[in-house]
Amino acid sequence: MLRRLIHILLLIPIACIDPYEVEVPEGKELLSVDGLIHTGQGPHAITISRSTTYGSQFEGLIRPVSGATVVVRDNEGMVTFLEEGQEARGSYFTPTGFRAQVGKSYTLQIQTTEGRVYTSLPERVNAVPEIEAITMKTVTVPVEGETNPRSGIQLISEINDPADQNNFYFWRSGRATYLQETYPELYIIRPAKIPAPKACCNFCYITEPGSNQSLFIAQDDSFNGLSTRIPAAFIKDDGRRFIFKYRMELRQYSISQEAYRFLRLIKQQAEISGSIFDPPPATIRGNIISLDNPDEEVLGYFIAAGETTKEIYIDRAELSFRQNKVTIPDDCLTLPGASLIPPVDWKP
Amino acid sequence: MKKILLLFIFLLGHGAWAQTTTPSKREVIGRDIGQLKGIKISGRIIDEITGEALVGATVSVPELDLTRITDNNGAFELSLDRSEYNLQFRYVGYETIDYPITAVGDGRMSIRMIQEDFQLDDVVIFGRDPEKNIRSTDMGAITLSMNTMRELPPFMGEIDIVRSLATLPGVSQVGEASSGLNVRGGGVDQNLIQFGGAPIYNPSHMFGLFTAFNADVVNDVTLYKAVVPAKYGGRSSAILDILPKTGGVSKWGGDLMVSNYSGKLSLNGPLIKDKVSILGGFRISYINWFLQTLSNPTVKNSNANFYDGNLIISAPLSDKNEFTYSYYTSYDDFAFASDTTISWKNTAHSLQWKSKLSSKLSLEALGYYSLYDYGIFNLSGINDFEIKSDIADLGGKVFLGYQLSSTGKVVFGGEFKQVNIQPGELIPSGTEDILPKKVQDEAGREAAVHFQHEFEVGEKFGFSYGLRYDTYQYLGPRVVRQYEENEPVSDGSAIGETNYEDGEVIQTYGGLGPRASIRYSLSKASSIKLGYNKMYQFIHLISNTATIAPSDVWKLSDTFIEPQIADQYSLGFYNNFKGNIFETSIEVYYKDLQNVVEYKDGATLIMQNHIETELIPAEGQAYGVELYVKKNLGRLTGWVSYTYSRSLRRVITAYEEENINDGEWYASNFDKPHDLTLIGNYKVSTNTSISATFAYSTGRPVTFPEAKFEYSGNNLAYFDSRNQQRLPDFHRLDFAVNFKFKGEGRFFDGNWTFSLLNVYGRKNPFSIYFDDAAGAPPQALRLAILGVPLPSLSYAIKF
Repeated sequence: MLRRLIHILLLIPIACIDPYEVEVPEGKELLSVDGLIHTGQGPHAITISRSTTYGSQFEGLIRPVSGATVVVRDNEGMVTFLEEGQEARGSYFTPTGFRAQVGKSYTLQIQTTEGRVYTSLPERVNAVPEIEAITMKTVTVPVEGETNPRSGIQLISEINDPADQNNFYFWRSGRATYLQETYPELYIIRPAKIPAPKACCNFCYITEPGSNQSLFIAQDDSFNGLSTRIPAAFIKDDGRRFIFKYRMELRQYSISQEAYRFLRLIKQQAEISGSIFDPPPATIRGNIISLDNPDEEVLGYFIAAGETTKEIYIDRAELSFRQNKVTIPDDCLTLPGASLIPPVDWKP
Repeated sequence: MKKILLLFIFLLGHGAWAQTTTPSKREVIGRDIGQLKGIKISGRIIDEITGEALVGATVSVPELDLTRITDNNGAFELSLDRSEYNLQFRYVGYETIDYPITAVGDGRMSIRMIQEDFQLDDVVIFGRDPEKNIRSTDMGAITLSMNTMRELPPFMGEIDIVRSLATLPGVSQVGEASSGLNVRGGGVDQNLIQFGGAPIYNPSHMFGLFTAFNADVVNDVTLYKAVVPAKYGGRSSAILDILPKTGGVSKWGGDLMVSNYSGKLSLNGPLIKDKVSILGGFRISYINWFLQTLSNPTVKNSNANFYDGNLIISAPLSDKNEFTYSYYTSYDDFAFASDTTISWKNTAHSLQWKSKLSSKLSLEALGYYSLYDYGIFNLSGINDFEIKSDIADLGGKVFLGYQLSSTGKVVFGGEFKQVNIQPGELIPSGTEDILPKKVQDEAGREAAVHFQHEFEVGEKFGFSYGLRYDTYQYLGPRVVRQYEENEPVSDGSAIGETNYEDGEVIQTYGGLGPRASIRYSLSKASSIKLGYNKMYQFIHLISNTATIAPSDVWKLSDTFIEPQIADQYSLGFYNNFKGNIFETSIEVYYKDLQNVVEYKDGATLIMQNHIETELIPAEGQAYGVELYVKKNLGRLTGWVSYTYSRSLRRVITAYEEENINDGEWYASNFDKPHDLTLIGNYKVSTNTSISATFAYSTGRPVTFPEAKFEYSGNNLAYFDSRNQQRLPDFHRLDFAVNFKFKGEGRFFDGNWTFSLLNVYGRKNPFSIYFDDAAGAPPQALRLAILGVPLPSLSYAIKF
């Protein structure tokens, strides 16, 4: 909010932001953990990697930590082994049927191939209030030098926050599906620009995997015990998604206070703008420790959460502002995630 | 060139320092009753035209090697023997008056000084008294008159008090958009900024780009950075005392200025002729209007307004009594694309009574009320709310000054203030989705008594020592938490709460703050001074940004946050050359700071009811050497100031995990070891002058990531130690040309100033930050606030 001063200054225009070459210290190779287990359907993933020098991947490639033994242990001593994905090296998945249980505490334990052992602090799973409803709002963001603003929709989760406890919320955007129209009859062979109309196909259902990139979190300090509405996701209008019908699953988690603090720091850093009111860089401490060397710095967080999900169908008419339709002169099946038949549960 | 040479010869030959009016006939002063010694001659110096009292004018008696400065009423007093004297009256910007007298008995004089004609070839940028820097026991006290500041290139079209001070040694700013000053390694909250005696919490408009003080209503500004007189206290680094002007009692006049950013008008004159004067000033920006003319939709929905206003009523009831009321307000609002607005406002009232109880005893009493408040309005359509916060100071001070001899003086007095802070209240607007929330109000009382004695021993030694006792109480009503003894203070270690009633004393602090300085004169033009100073501060700026942000939280000392204490030692050598044309000084200092507030990593400071869980006490250390050479007179005037200094912090707690940088000393956010400023003003002709400022400093410390890691699909930076790297060096050249058109009532008569900031367009980084934006690798980005040469044009008239 305050960082927007910079935008004004940029527009006046006095201030400027440009890439800058700096000598960044050579990166430490620290173990970093990104994991969430919850009460919903699995498999749940724990991803382990090593940090590297800050900058582009040419300066340092974040390498997955493969071949580790990863287990989740609950407070009753029940141990669940996770299996590394065949495709996704460094990602370890819970077995089918595994769900975290409300009221139990879980710890993550990792043993790397070098024999180093790490553990998380215990995380307790709290019950999550239901998503009562999802509403939406069109958001437009003006872009300098362009007549058309950027736009998208904001999803708002309506919840009845329980009054008798402190609740910390975290949302992820689940899988999304939408109907897409393309124009195979306009297909051209490039670069010769020879028209070569295709007979099929004009309409596909496109399914996109969930995205975790934007962090939506909240704590009930300001709404304890109320029925309230919290922004929980943002979906960018790319000129394809909101042409007909769009469906998304919103996932709502209850997390611990410590996990909330961790995610808040991550969010803070992801939103930093370099303005004069930016909070200074903060060390983001997680909940993983090394059992071999207590002074070893370990990054990341293991979250155990309660999950609830809800679907929303969005019709084009519900958007108060839409991007112009993107014309794709090709068979719609060439698009990633395309299918001619809708998912079985498609009930707009 | 020839003229300069001639002037030099004239100056060297006569030992005088400015052109003087032709000597008038010797005047006999006083009723002759045969008195031989102890003849009291008092008087008052006013502006011939406006009748305004000239504050800080110099009266010198060359025969006795004696100099007096007029007080806030323009009054002075001399104690003479029966003899002939060639008095001289001097005031910056006015023609010097030679006034030969024969003193035969107690008497009065009334001096009317005439503003220096623009035709004068030389510019004088003396402060009050040309030899004051050498002869007084003051250390690190700098007074800048408006005339001096006028010689600097203007910033954003006008004189900026805060930025002008930052050109002096030992005084710096974090960057180009920053409010407040860092004085000798201290934070921005460690300076007391007072306008007409009332404290001001936010000294700038537009987040530091524009000054919040209208130069046309300011008489002068004094900064105490080393030995602070005992009558000042409450902040640990420095005192910035802004003295407003008073209006003329005989004639109406005013100032008007318009620039491409803002306009201001001030009017002054007699409310009751020869008795009560009034001065009103108003200044407003038209940036908003400018934004509306741009076609960009974002800008169209944005807002950036500010104004400030002053009203000063002065009633010199007699030569002995004067009442002055001063009102100051400044307001800002700022919105970006219209969903969030932030506004802030300073208001200060003060009423001062100055009285000469006898020829030796004078009294000054002041009462003030100051209010700073801000609001953040979120009108995004979801969970609309506003956050409000304010801080109010109500206080009074009184002190008595007693002139023991021509060189000996005692000042003693006391002060009291009540501070109330409303740290934040969240008010939902038109929605039942969120709860109202209020952070507990805070209240504190400060009281102090003080005493200062100045005297000289022979020609060589001057002494000044003072003692101040500060006491402070933190008051209820309040709920105060208790925490587990052997655990860090955090939400998790809270074990209970205590309720305190309204007005109940929760915590008391206090301490003795001695100040002392010794001057040893090596010659008439050079001296050595030694000083020591201890100050207490019971209010803390809770901020994790390096500058004053409008939404910063101020916090009173409480059970957990102890008062800041600063000890400063300084040593200086002062030498003036060529009849005070050149003024030079070298000062070294060492400063020790206790209980400076540092924040924990990722602390939440806004709307925080238990702020002690987010803060940790730090200790600070600052030292440096300051070199200063100033040319006061001639076609070319200006100064060079160079400072080498360090400002360090250290955090060692009982809990290793709370230590910052493993408990080692590290550079504070505003540690800039090398700091050089060159300022020059050259009078090209009678009506034209050019000025330039060049500033260079080491880049300030920043924290760079030690690694990159991935979480939740984001590439994130891992930071470990604070402030281990530095921004690139800062340097900038500013330039201005000033034309004075003087004629009879022509439209364009007045002062035209064209200035160009950042002449060679250096992109001095305000910050370097690390971003992982979609479509680009994670990279370092540079934010430059003044990234281009920035021109401004202003036009000012006096009428």
